[in-house]
Amino acid sequence: MAQELRSINLVAPAFKGVNTEDSPLAQDPSFADIADNAVIDKRGRIAARKGFEVITTSTTPLDSNPITVIHEFESASGSTEILSAGNSKLFKGTTTLTDITPGGYAINNNNWKVVNFNNKAYFFQRDQQPVVYDGGASAVLLSTVSGAAGITSAIYGNEVLSAFGRLWVADVNGDKSTVYWSDLLIGHDFAGGTSGSINLDKVWPDGYDEIVALSAHNGLLIIFGRHSIVVYQGAEAPATMTLADTINGIGCVDRDTVQYTGTDVIFLSHTGLRSFRRVIQEKSMPITSLSKTITKDIVALLQTETESFRSLYSPEENFYLITFAGQTTTYCFDTRGTLEDGSYRVTRWPSSIFKSYKRLQSGEVYIGTTHGISEYTGYRDNNDKYRFRYYSPSLTFGDAARVKFLKKIKPTIVGANNSTIFMKFAYDFNTVYRTTEFTTGSQIPAFYAVNEFGPNSVPLSEFTAGQLTNQVSLNAAGGGTSVVVGLESDIDGFQLSLQEINILALIGKVL
Amino acid sequence: MSNGLMGINPTLDFQRQMKNQGGIFQTLGSPAMASKPGAPASAGETGDSGTLTDALLGFLGDGGAQGLAGLGLLTSAYGRLGDIGQRGLGLGQELAQTQLEQAAFRPYTVTTATGGQFMAGPEGQYTMAVSPEEQAMRDQLFGGAGQFYQQAAMPTADREAEIFERMRTTMSPEEERQRLALEERLAAQGRLGVRTAQFGGAPEQFALAQAQEEARNRAMLGAMQQAQAEQAQQAALGQQYLMGSYLPQQQMLAALSPGQTAAAQAQQAQLYGTGLFGEATASGIDALLASGLGQANLMGAAGTGLLAGLFGGSGSGSGSNPVRDLIDYFRNR
Repeated sequence: MAQELRSINLVAPAFKGVNTEDSPLAQDPSFADIADNAVIDKRGRIAARKGFEVITTSTTPLDSNPITVIHEFESASGSTEILSAGNSKLFKGTTTLTDITPGGYAINNNNWKVVNFNNKAYFFQRDQQPVVYDGGASAVLLSTVSGAAGITSAIYGNEVLSAFGRLWVADVNGDKSTVYWSDLLIGHDFAGGTSGSINLDKVWPDGYDEIVALSAHNGLLIIFGRHSIVVYQGAEAPATMTLADTINGIGCVDRDTVQYTGTDVIFLSHTGLRSFRRVIQEKSMPITSLSKTITKDIVALLQTETESFRSLYSPEENFYLITFAGQTTTYCFDTRGTLEDGSYRVTRWPSSIFKSYKRLQSGEVYIGTTHGISEYTGYRDNNDKYRFRYYSPSLTFGDAARVKFLKKIKPTIVGANNSTIFMKFAYDFNTVYRTTEFTTGSQIPAFYAVNEFGPNSVPLSEFTAGQLTNQVSLNAAGGGTSVVVGLESDIDGFQLSLQEINILALIGKVL
Repeated sequence: MSNGLMGINPTLDFQRQMKNQGGIFQTLGSPAMASKPGAPASAGETGDSGTLTDALLGFLGDGGAQGLAGLGLLTSAYGRLGDIGQRGLGLGQELAQTQLEQAAFRPYTVTTATGGQFMAGPEGQYTMAVSPEEQAMRDQLFGGAGQFYQQAAMPTADREAEIFERMRTTMSPEEERQRLALEERLAAQGRLGVRTAQFGGAPEQFALAQAQEEARNRAMLGAMQQAQAEQAQQAALGQQYLMGSYLPQQQMLAALSPGQTAAAQAQQAQLYGTGLFGEATASGIDALLASGLGQANLMGAAGTGLLAGLFGGSGSGSGSNPVRDLIDYFRNR
């Protein structure tokens, strides 16, 4: 007698993102084992990320080197200008990169941090004299600014923060426990007025640490060490600011991992992504881990990263990106909400060539690559396709003891256009997947005054009413106690979202 | 004891002088008078022999003796007048010498109640000597004054530093407590490492340092003032000691004034007695000379009368002129 097929519906698969921490067998099917080049879209589905379109028309100034820093300079008049760095040069502009490197200034690294302060943009990086740009034809060395004082190697810090009406500089080679602040509203005066410094040697909660990053949040000056955090209040008057809190055991791995979300500060610690979540009534800041589902992956990347970190927070895209530049890996954390354990839903962007990010005031996201400055838009990476991958965790369908025989796999794909979808499945933790494929339907976007079938065609046009939804039924074979279902597709100009996967399986005997 | 000449009751010295003067006066009478060649001879020395004697007796009987007596008297009066002048000169010189000795300065000594002495020497030198106790006190005070002045003359820098250090020693514990309290407060606030261009360190550190520096400055100024006050005090003490060291001398000089007054009074009395002595002696001399002159005059008058009687008669005698009578006598024989 034929047994009844059991329908196992994976609704919005992987909408909780990747989880490599929990046991695959015990995982919620809403997690994913792999979610590459994916994001959580606005409907909570896993979807392909956007690609990037190169804006820069000539990469000659870069000489095949990437743009490692992108910054939007906002002048007091409200005008903006894109500044960037790469190939040991400083640039302005997007389509054309205009060299604004100070004359005779040798740049030996491209790990700048740029901040806007009092109608100027300040460039800081380790062991380099800071550079300031005021909208002129070229940037100038900070020491050459009229009235500059105290511009010595003592303030050639790797970290700079513009907050509380001052520039704050730290992470100076040979002096990693001192924070320097400039005179009020004078970013080139570190020796006069109300400028000063604070040495944290006697403040670190565990006796010693090194300053990595600075942040200002909710009237607090947050000083990130490698494995501890010190918080000062009243930084509007630095001479009298007082210690508000210290956090031991959690620090920041790199200054470029710190991002502001408006209500929180996100940073990457050596144990994963963290955030301050402030409880206003209690005036306390419990630390929340945002990457509990991929902690080991993060730690593994941290331990092997030698180049740089870059991060981005985009409220428009609702994600926080953290890129391990040396390992061409980017993790995308969806910031719209957290899971039950407080972590963000996370996806991975492998083989990432992204070297820098910048969210503009307009909401656009600029990406720095070897192609120059690009915009995060479209669904091609500089006109190249990229692979979207989803793999579920090992599914036991609630009964790990019985054998499952997959009969049908019915994915529901939203978007895509004439794309080949590869459905993959494997049993019992086997990494050799069985694959079946199908091609989605075509969807022709409507353009103004353009007929689908050419001029004067009959019928004139047949356009989709929004995104194309593909539901196919694919035959499956084989059996095992646990099943992994995957989906891969090249993203080549069109959005793709995985709405659901309905699996029809025959439940066998107990092994 | 009055000698019957001066009519006063002199002091012992004066009495002695009066006695001496009286001795002189007494020697003016008998010896001088006894040694005069014009004194009348005794009766045994006037005898005559023979005719001449008879003639002479006759002559003398006839008035010749009157003439000879008159002549002798005149001669004696003349010689006596010359002697009287010589004697007056000698007596005047003796009187001057005597008064010079009498009016000479007499050394005297004033002794105070505390044993100090002022001695006026015969040569006019004056010597003062305080008592040994006063001298010891004077030496002590004088030495102390020297020490005080020496200390007052020394630069005050060392003393200022010493006073300042003592003040700082007093202030330092509290300053250290304040510093530690601030250090703890700053440590609790995580601000130990604050360095500012405006204050150097944290504002509280600056305020504390400023307060401590102000206190230090005040202490320094106070030390300077104290050192100067002590310097002035040393000088004042030196002056007081110095003045005190001269106090025995001043007191002795003060005591000398009455002594000098007494001595002056004695001197004045001495001079007065000398004056009286001179006047009395001069009066005696004058009386002596006057009596001599009177005697001489009397003798001269008597001689003149005898001679006038000798040479005034006729014949064997005029009876009015003894000299002529005497001449006539010898012619007629």
